[in-house]
Amino acid sequence: MIIVIDGINQHKFKDVLDEMFKLRARVFGDRLGWEVNIVDGRERDMFDDLNPAHVVSINDEGDVVGCMRLLQTTGPHMLADVFHSILDGEPPLRSSQVWEATRFCVDTKKLGRGRGKNSVSYVTSEVMIGSFEYAKTAGVLDSIAVIDPVMNRVLQRSGNAPYDYLGNAKPMGKVVAMAAMMDCSDERITGIRDYAGIEHDVFLTEEQALELFAHSKTLPPANVDHQPLTELEKYFVEQMHSARTQEEVDAILKLIEALSDRFTPEQKTALLSTPRAFAHEA
Amino acid sequence: MKLIDLAALDHQEKSTADIINSVCEELGFDYASYATMNPVKGDVQGYANYPDEWKIHYGSHGYHHFDPTIYQSVLSIAPVDWSRFNHDEKFNAVFRDAHDFGITPRGLTVPVRGPYGECGILSVTRDCSDHEWENLKKRVMGDLQMAAVQAHDTVMQSGVLAKALYLPALSTREKEILQWVAEGKSQQDIGDILSISHRTVEVHMRSGREKLGALTTPQAIGRAIGLGLIAPG
Repeated sequence: MIIVIDGINQHKFKDVLDEMFKLRARVFGDRLGWEVNIVDGRERDMFDDLNPAHVVSINDEGDVVGCMRLLQTTGPHMLADVFHSILDGEPPLRSSQVWEATRFCVDTKKLGRGRGKNSVSYVTSEVMIGSFEYAKTAGVLDSIAVIDPVMNRVLQRSGNAPYDYLGNAKPMGKVVAMAAMMDCSDERITGIRDYAGIEHDVFLTEEQALELFAHSKTLPPANVDHQPLTELEKYFVEQMHSARTQEEVDAILKLIEALSDRFTPEQKTALLSTPRAFAHEA
Repeated sequence: MKLIDLAALDHQEKSTADIINSVCEELGFDYASYATMNPVKGDVQGYANYPDEWKIHYGSHGYHHFDPTIYQSVLSIAPVDWSRFNHDEKFNAVFRDAHDFGITPRGLTVPVRGPYGECGILSVTRDCSDHEWENLKKRVMGDLQMAAVQAHDTVMQSGVLAKALYLPALSTREKEILQWVAEGKSQQDIGDILSISHRTVEVHMRSGREKLGALTTPQAIGRAIGLGLIAPG
């Protein structure tokens, strides 16, 4: 589910933003090798100080699993001031009805393949729906997104292909950055919703977002009995950790169920309810 | 910190007033106002078509020192519905008396950010039902965005120095497209000629119009020719 954090409500969401900056450091610094500034495991730049809007996805477990940053193109923004090489020396667009989307990422560690709720594909769609609906309500008609070719392919495959690109793709560290154009139209939003099978309102209220986020902090540790993990428990933890599709996860859960006479009830509950926390301990 | 009524200054501000008034007339709002903060002096400069009594009351009570519709809205990139300030004591302090002056607390503020990081805000109000308000917002938000940037640029370019610094930087694509429009080509034609989608043509045209401070494409063509950016068709 999505919460939009801007300059007005950011004081309520300091912890969520902190998790978001950590996610960005993992994705852009560690995984993609972009030339970004990371301090204390958090990736921030000068545009984060200009009160952008952050579209943040929080999953059912209360983790920040995706985000995107929006700025007006009438003011300072990345294509004008940082990524101008993409534009081949041309001045950037300037329109009150075009927003710029940057730092779009999802947590590929926590999310799996496939199309289920905890998949890269689902969260990508959710962040996109949130951004486009937020922009559309603001009277914005188009967005220009600075993305890499991998994200570009994800968009093309998920009913959300950019209709054009500005300038030319340019190397940025280990990857290539490109400026993709997407309309904030009902057609596009419907396309993404159909692809992802998301019919509900994706937005959380501020209260709901805070509650959901707080939830992740109160999860009981998986290994509640503080006994060393048994071989069987370890096996399930490893399986859970390497599961990439909802089918695989379901299969593991089934197996745990089938072998439930081998665990104490506490062990079983822990295994079934908190595979994520469990994986962390492995 | 002063509150400066731009209408009392020179002729240039008339066009800010015109924009504000046409926002009300054409988009269906009761009142509208534009404000920007002078980054050096911290003065709030603006124009509002509120009744004079309210303007005097507002200024004499120093509401412009803490009115959240000014100070909070500039922190957003999207238009801010004043319902977001429902529980804000400062908002209630400003609007507690507003009713006596025929001013409703139902309004919204469109923030604008300029290329130098400066901010401006366009605020509008309308006394109406929830339902009417939601529909109105859906219908006119795009127009409000354009009016806001127009009002902002008009004020920002009012100084001689600012005018000199503010020569519109049109990209090759924007100039190329305006040139084809000057040649009499339609948006679809231009898309075909340049092998780009008509949506891309539209985005560049919109951006070109705004950079030139033009409301319509013909006006943008006129200005672009006047500035020598494109040739007469």
